[in-house]
Formats: sequence, C-alpha cells, structure tokens
Amino acid sequence: MTIVTRRKFLQYCGSLAAILGLGPSAIPAICQAIDQMAKGRAPLLWLQGQSCSGCSISLLNSTEPGPAQILTSSISLIFHPNLSAATGHTCLDLINSTVDKGGYILVIEGSIPTRIPHACMVGEEPIDKMVIRAAQKAKAVIALGTCASFGGIPAAENNVTGAMGVPEFLKLNRIGTPVISLPGCPAHPDWLVGTLVYVLKFGLPNLDKFGRPTMFFAKVLHDQCPRFADYEREKFAKTLDEDGCLFRLGCMGPKTYADCSLRLWNSRTSFCIKAGAPCIGCTMPEFAAKASFPFYRKRELLPLPDRQPAQPAEVRP
Amino acid sequence: MSLSVTIDPITRIEGHLKIKIEVEAGRVVQAFSSGEMFRGFEQILIGRDPLDAQQITQRICGVCPVSHGIASILAQDSAYGVTIPQNGRLLRNLIQGANFIQSHILHFYHLAALDFIDITSILQYQGRDRALLDLKAWVKSAGQGDNLLYPTAPFLPRYAGDYLKDTELNIGAIRHYLEALDMRRLAHEMVALFGGKAPHVASLTPGGVTEKVTIDKITACTWKLKKLQEFIDYSYLPDVAAVARAFPAYFQIGRGYGNLLAYGVFPESDQNGGPCLFPPGVVMAGKPETFIQRKITEDVRYSYFAPASGIHPASGTTEVSYPKAEAYSWLKAPRYQDQVMEVGPMARIMVAYLEGKNSQVVSLTNKLLSDLGKKPDDLYSVLGRHAARAIECKVVADRCSQWLEALRPDQPAYRDYDLPKEASGVGLTEAPRGALGHWLEISDYKIKRYQCVVPTTWNCSPRDEKGNPGALEKALEGTPIKNQENPIEAARIVRSFDPCLACAVH
Repeated sequence: MTIVTRRKFLQYCGSLAAILGLGPSAIPAICQAIDQMAKGRAPLLWLQGQSCSGCSISLLNSTEPGPAQILTSSISLIFHPNLSAATGHTCLDLINSTVDKGGYILVIEGSIPTRIPHACMVGEEPIDKMVIRAAQKAKAVIALGTCASFGGIPAAENNVTGAMGVPEFLKLNRIGTPVISLPGCPAHPDWLVGTLVYVLKFGLPNLDKFGRPTMFFAKVLHDQCPRFADYEREKFAKTLDEDGCLFRLGCMGPKTYADCSLRLWNSRTSFCIKAGAPCIGCTMPEFAAKASFPFYRKRELLPLPDRQPAQPAEVRP
Repeated sequence: MSLSVTIDPITRIEGHLKIKIEVEAGRVVQAFSSGEMFRGFEQILIGRDPLDAQQITQRICGVCPVSHGIASILAQDSAYGVTIPQNGRLLRNLIQGANFIQSHILHFYHLAALDFIDITSILQYQGRDRALLDLKAWVKSAGQGDNLLYPTAPFLPRYAGDYLKDTELNIGAIRHYLEALDMRRLAHEMVALFGGKAPHVASLTPGGVTEKVTIDKITACTWKLKKLQEFIDYSYLPDVAAVARAFPAYFQIGRGYGNLLAYGVFPESDQNGGPCLFPPGVVMAGKPETFIQRKITEDVRYSYFAPASGIHPASGTTEVSYPKAEAYSWLKAPRYQDQVMEVGPMARIMVAYLEGKNSQVVSLTNKLLSDLGKKPDDLYSVLGRHAARAIECKVVADRCSQWLEALRPDQPAYRDYDLPKEASGVGLTEAPRGALGHWLEISDYKIKRYQCVVPTTWNCSPRDEKGNPGALEKALEGTPIKNQENPIEAARIVRSFDPCLACAVH
C-alpha cells in the first residue's frame, strides 16, 4: 500500500471513472466517495454461504485499488472469514454486534441451502438464519458471484441441498433490503469495487432485470469480442487448437452479458476467449444449471449460426 | 474433569470448519474436526458431459481450482487415451506451479501469520517507509471521527496470546504482509497469462492446454516469476525462519500420527506415468513405502453419508444421510490401508527428502534444519509444515523458470482425441494442500460416476469406522492450552494444515 499524493489520487479517480464508464465530470464526485470510504464510513460485513471463496480471492486480485488500499482505506471490513484476525466466538460477537447496530453493507458470497439448513453452518447457526438477520439490518446487500446471485453450481440440477441465490432467498423471506447482483464465476474485482463506490456516493446503480448493474453487464460479450471478425467472416475453429471464432465449439459469448473482453482479468492480462477457451457463460442466471446443456461441443459441433443476433445488443432496464 | 471448548468459525482458512477440543488439566485430550458446509459436486456431475468436469470441479475451490482442473483433465486424458504434447505438459506445470506459489504466499502471510506476528507493533515504527507510515497512521487514527464498532478490523480483535515481541521482526513481517498481497496477485497474473483468468482457469483441457505458446507470454511470465523468486528468497523463507526461531516450542506441537502420503505432481516427462518434480510416496511411521493407489478407501461412519465405509473411490458414491446418529462432519474419512494419513507440503517434502533424488529439496531442507538446530523428525509439527511449505514454494518457483526455458513457440500445446462412449479414468495430482484424486466413469458419453478425494478430506477428516481420529484431530491431542477463552495454540495447529473445507467436502 502506498501513500497517495494528490496527483496520484486524481489519477486513480480518473481510472476508476473510466472503469465505471463515467466521464471526467464525475471525477470530483468519485473523489468524495473515496474520501468517505477512507474515513471508514462504509462498514462492510462479509458472509460466505455455500461458496468456494473464489470471489474473495478474485477481490484480492484487484489492481488500483489493491487489496491493502481497499482494506485500510476504502472500506471498514468488519468481518471476513478468510482474512479476519478474530477466531471463534469473537467472530460471532463481531457479527452480532454489527447486525444489532445496523447501517452496514452486507456482501454475501455463495448460495444458501434451503432444503438442508445444516449444509452451511457458521458458529453453529445455519447460514439461512444468519443471512436473514444480517440482511434485515443492512443498508444494501451485494450478492457477489453467480452462486450468491443465482444459485450457481451448487444449485445445478441434481443438487440435494436446495441451494438458492440470495435475491430469491430474501424475496422468499420477504426481506426488502435492496440487493445488487454481481454474478461471475468468479466475480471480477472491478465489478465489486466499482459498485461499492457507486453505492456510497450515488446510491443504487441502474440494474437490469436480473439485478445486475448495467454499467458492467449491459452488453453481450460477443458484441465486444476480439474474434468478432472471425465470426463475421465465418472462420470457425473446429477443434480447440484451431484459430478462429469459438462459436461452434460451444461459446456462450452471444448470450452472456459481461464486459470481460474489454476489462480483462488479473490486471488486464487475459480472458477466456483470448486464451483459446470458449466462454461458458458464467454471469448468466442459468450458468451450469442444466445437466444436459454442456459447456463445450466436440462430437457434434454447433451448426453455423444464423446471421441474426440471439439477444438484443443492449438490455434496457 | 474435562472442559469442552468449541472454536467456530475457524477463520483464516478456506471454508466452514468447527473444532471442538476437550481440555483436561490444561491439555487437549480429544479433538473433533467438523466440516460445516456441503454442496454435492459428485452428484451434480452425474449425467453431464465429461468435458464439463474440469470447469465444474474447479469451482470446488477458489484457492486451488487449478489442481482440481488438472486432476480432472488427467482423469480424462487417461479415459480418452491421449498423451499430451510437451508444450501442453509444460504449460500445465506452469499454470499449476504459479497457483502453488500464490496459495503458499497467501497461506503464510494472510492466513497464518496473524497468529504469530503482532500487528500492533506498527505503533512503534520510527522509520521512513511510506507504506508502514501509512499503516501506522491508519491504526492510530482509526476510530477517531467515525462511529465504527471495530475500527481496526480485520486486524483486530484477535485472541490474546504470546505474539512475537521483537518489534523489528514484527514490522518487517508486517511490511511483507503488505507486499505479499501484491505478490500473490502477481502469481495469479502468471496463472492468467496461460490460463486466461484466475481463479477458475479457462485454458485447461484434456489433450493439453488451449492457450498458445508465444514469445511475449514466455517473456512476461519469466519476469513476473523473477519478482516472485526474489520475494520467496528474501522475504518468505527468512520470515518463516524468524517465526520458527521465536516460537521453537512449535516444533514439538501438532505432531499427528507421522504417516504421510503423496501422489506426486508436476510431470517431468511426456510419457504417462513418468517421473514428477515431487514424487509419489508413502511414509508410514517414519519409514518410506511405495504408494499403491488401490489401498485408498473412504469411511463414512461419522460423516453425513449413507453407511458404506471402506469403499475405494473408483466405486464410491456420495449419498447424503442427514440427520445421522454419531455423525459430526460433512467430510468423509479417507484412509490408506486403514491408516490415517497426512498430506500436504510437509508430506511431499519428506517423501522427496527421503527419496533423495532432488538435491535442491535435500539441501534446502538440511540448511533450514541446521540453521534452526533441528532434525528431520522435527518437521512433523506446526513449524515443520510452515517450513516445508516455504521450501516447496522455492523449489516450484525455481523449476518454473526451467519449464519456461523449455517452451517452444512453434509447437502445439494440444493434441486432439475422440470421445469414447464408455471409459474410466483416474487423475492423481497434488493441490497446494496435498494429494488430490479424481475418479471418473463414463457411460453412453455421459458421466456415470465422479468421485473426488481431496487433500483436506485426508487432513481434517472425522473419525473412521474404527473410531481412529483424523490427522488434525490427532495433531491437536496433547496440546497445552493456557487459556480456554483464547485457545490460540489450537488455532495455530489447525492453520498449519492450511485447511480448505470447500475442497474437503465438495
């Protein structure tokens, strides 16, 4: 973590503005939002349901701000299962007294098991009870990752735990706290950091019908794909080592709303299609849901696409 | 009269773990390790296309997804009868190796170190390092001007305990804790160069890797690796040694049974079944033995699964039985020849050390032991596990630079194959936390059976059919607990295993 000069601070606000797709006029407002975070006015409680911790690891991969900057300047991370120094009953005191006080942002990673509550326990309390308590008193809930947003792999066909995404779970339990869904498997760290800044300064961002911020999830990946020219020229890869569009191998780019192809992963290093792998649609509500719908096509390639786009180019809220 | 102490949740691990210790006359007499979260990957995979498996099983864990992807594609390579090209093998090793580096750095600094170093030492800092001054200012000013209940979370509150007293060492370690955040992110950039993204890598596939070898990626990877090697050599290894010198009692704490298991990892030859950087092997009560796969079985007496103990994973099933009398964990109890085994970096290093063929493993281990005035037998301990993890991190990083050298930009990384209608395969590899196996059966082109036995399943298992405690449960026995409200000694033992419960249960 480095001390921030005024010049660097404005640069950072500028890059964050670019990340959020906001123009230069938004920069002073963002600076104020970050200043507010820096004064510790954004208490954040982080709970994990049926999770793999991938979204937490992804957050630790954040660049500008890096995790040290986030931890000590941007938010007050009251409790996080992977990072907190507290162990055992101290954690329960942290969680319970924070819930009592209210006024925090609740981040939930992982799904909620509704058929077997004992399939996820924290401090000998089932997570569904803890999430209900914590969500009722939160200012806002962020369902981080596809498991928390839509149920994800734990909720796939043949699951026995009754895994459920957080928005559906809260609706079932009549909890009206606003929920923002940040799917992705994992969620990109920029989506979380950007959403937190937006919430603190401007309130709730514009959300699509799945609760996803349109500032990140408005366009299908296909429309911003570096291999779009191959698609147009009908140069399709037939095996995984061939160059060309990956559509016939099962690429979900045409149906998947996410900005991965522009944002790139891991400090702008790469993304799935760039690495030669078809998109598996990990931000979609139906990601991995059906056993009969495979990620990849091999024995039978997908037929040549018809020339109409499968979805409208932009989702209207 | 014994006192029952429950530690739940265990933080700074991966996943949901509850530990219950029975303390009598200030020592642990019995321990119970409970995995508290279940998803059911093995059922979810049934009926799916086999090619889905390497993406789905990666989601078992966000810290070691690569190893699951590797185990899955190894099982599929064997089921499909494909031998991958050299570039594919090297890229897989690099992707997996970079994630080992990420995981080990994360573990020592961000998961384990706060049990030893004293973060409040920063208030004594008198130097001019900007990052440390910034942190000092944050610790001092936190709580002033806002109404937060826990202003210095997540670093405080914490257990009361005998933290490191040496201010200079503390501050150095704190500085490295901050640098380690950048280093593990860098290691994931290294994963993503050939993997597409991290966590949950895109480019792993049966037949090799989908990414192509190009000179710019080799170059970028080499220079990211150099920074990691410097950090390992000048910060990570010395910090582990410093903690070991300050807490020498922890070479005699957390021993366990002394049985170790490794499947081997990082193939060094293009022939299937060839030598690996870390070889397979078994150490039974200190004596090396050949690893024989069919000796692996899983018991379920104390696990929330339908009663069928003693089954090899190739014929195993996962049927939930909840509630269930006697059961206290979502982990099955894997056993080898009915023995309780420990897996992980200490197992891999000990197997390689006793085999003696890897001179770097032997010399690094001997040097560390002699610097600390310890013997190889002292590695069966809390500090032994931390030391072995750091040594392994260096060995992997150094070998990565040689794998990079061997890559050929004009050669393929993938070999195509035909999908069989009926087949079975097994993929054995190592995750950062230990020996990992995936067993796959295909019928009518679909997955008929898929079973995983995962490192933490071995280490944090409950009692088996005969009532033998698992490796961690045993390692906790005999531990002196000074203050049952702050059982930091137990927490240090738990974290030395680097538990991952999402993995263990899956």
